[in-house]
Amino acid sequence: MQPTAPPAPTRVQTEAAPAIEVRDLRRSYGDFEAVRGISFEVQPGEVFALLGVNGAGKTSALEVLEGLAPAGGGSVRVLGADPVRDRARVRPRLGVLLQFSGLPGDLTVAETLRTWAGTLTDPRPVDEALAQVQLTGRADVRVRSLSGGERRRLDLALALLGRPDVVVLDEPTTGLDPESRRQVWRLVHDLVAGGAAVVLTTHHLEEAEELADRVAVLRDGQIVLAGTQEEIAETQPATIRFTLDQDAPEPPRPAGVQVVAERPRMEWHTRALQPVLAELLAWAAEHRVVLRALDARAASLEQAFLAVAAGAETP
Amino acid sequence: MTASTAPTAPVRTVAPPSRVRRVAALAAGENRLFLRNRTALVNSVVVPLLLVAAVPALGLSSDVPLGPQLILTGVGVTLVFLTYYNLVTTYVARREELVLQRMRTGELTGPEVLLGTAAPTLLVTLGQIVLVAAGVVAIGEWSAPVDPVLPLIAVLGGAALMTVLAAVSTAFTRTAESAQITTLPLVLPTTALSGLITPLSAFPDALAAVARFLPVTPVVELLQLGLGGVTWDGRLVDGGAAWAAALLPLAVLAGWLALGTLAAVRWFRWAPRR
Repeated sequence: MQPTAPPAPTRVQTEAAPAIEVRDLRRSYGDFEAVRGISFEVQPGEVFALLGVNGAGKTSALEVLEGLAPAGGGSVRVLGADPVRDRARVRPRLGVLLQFSGLPGDLTVAETLRTWAGTLTDPRPVDEALAQVQLTGRADVRVRSLSGGERRRLDLALALLGRPDVVVLDEPTTGLDPESRRQVWRLVHDLVAGGAAVVLTTHHLEEAEELADRVAVLRDGQIVLAGTQEEIAETQPATIRFTLDQDAPEPPRPAGVQVVAERPRMEWHTRALQPVLAELLAWAAEHRVVLRALDARAASLEQAFLAVAAGAETP
Repeated sequence: MTASTAPTAPVRTVAPPSRVRRVAALAAGENRLFLRNRTALVNSVVVPLLLVAAVPALGLSSDVPLGPQLILTGVGVTLVFLTYYNLVTTYVARREELVLQRMRTGELTGPEVLLGTAAPTLLVTLGQIVLVAAGVVAIGEWSAPVDPVLPLIAVLGGAALMTVLAAVSTAFTRTAESAQITTLPLVLPTTALSGLITPLSAFPDALAAVARFLPVTPVVELLQLGLGGVTWDGRLVDGGAAWAAALLPLAVLAGWLALGTLAAVRWFRWAPRR
């Protein structure tokens, strides 16, 4: 996959315009170029995940989408409008969860939501918002008394209070316990089912695997890998592991197999998982060899991410 | 894979809330926060009143009779020590706590966030001025203003200027604590040279001429003219002449407001430095 190339549109194109359209986006801080020409689109009802190590440029890119900073170059359209210049058009339909943000500690949860609701065009009822993030029982508790996870859920409730059509979530589950994280995942699934477009960043790759329809990996401000999870995983070799007794005959070496570890615990890497595995199983049957703890699997998103995010070239 | 037939969400037809309603919603929350902060409450209500009482007690000379002088001192002290100082610390604290950045992600515009956040301070400012005026009436020192519009312009323009200058001052104020230092240039020299404590007529002419262009001075001049019909150099004038004498302070006030607004737009930061 070519660096900086926009992700290939893998879903069937519809007449609907993309909810988010980013073209050759650039953003700099002085001489440092944090975002160096990235492009992608997100359709309504789709989750798009931006992955990358710290400093890769994810938040800098999202701040332009959120209308908090102007683009240094290129263009961004949210629901067909520029989020900075056409702010009044975009904001009522945009929900934002920042990576770090604060809330006044001396207001209660319900007061915080009521205050925020008063500033919105079409807020959902506060009781509904509380229930959405499982904070109904904490409605009268002051924000400073909430746990970190509860504050994050309140922040999420604020982001979703205006019934947004486009939602930007910057590391939405950071600091959440596993149960709260799953609640957030359910919320995102509900949003998408309702037709919202979601862009999220996360350091939890299992979160991207759970939620994202498409993924882009950012490195040094550029998209170095993009596509569906399957497409991204296919950029990395599959792995076959098995244990061979010392007295077993020498196994075959199918073409294209890279031997990573020798017996007793053998590990092969291959881009042709099915034929190589078939050949191995046929050999084992023919020689009556037991392949103990046999494990064969395609590459994961995490493997692909680790291979490219930190600087290694895509194989 | 997401269903490919997901439709674009229909555009909603609900009318957005007016600017006033948005600011009022934020102001309601801020007022509640203010009432729950006892330290801020005491500092905002008690300290300015003590300062107002202290100025006449110092026995400083004045061109203006006691009643108008007390109101003038009340407005000046409240604008500088309450409005300006409180707003610098409030804006900086909200910025450092990442609250301002959070507010900006919604439908509130930047000026609406700043105005809504300033609401309690501005309301207390107004309350303090009314309280001092009521006190002046109570001690029998009230006299009808020469022109009621000029003091009104002074109060409203002064409050707007203090709000804008507070926003500008946050650009060089890293923490709420450091506001004690960074607010000094406005709080001390410009207040001392404004005619609020010592009349400008007591200064050397050259110094008084320069002092008239400092930010607090036009507010004091307009109050003096409107409340007592006294010009910056101590002459007594009637209503018509008061307006003629008010042209320069009005222009200076408008100039500072324009300059302050430009500076705030240019330098105000919504999030802490990275």
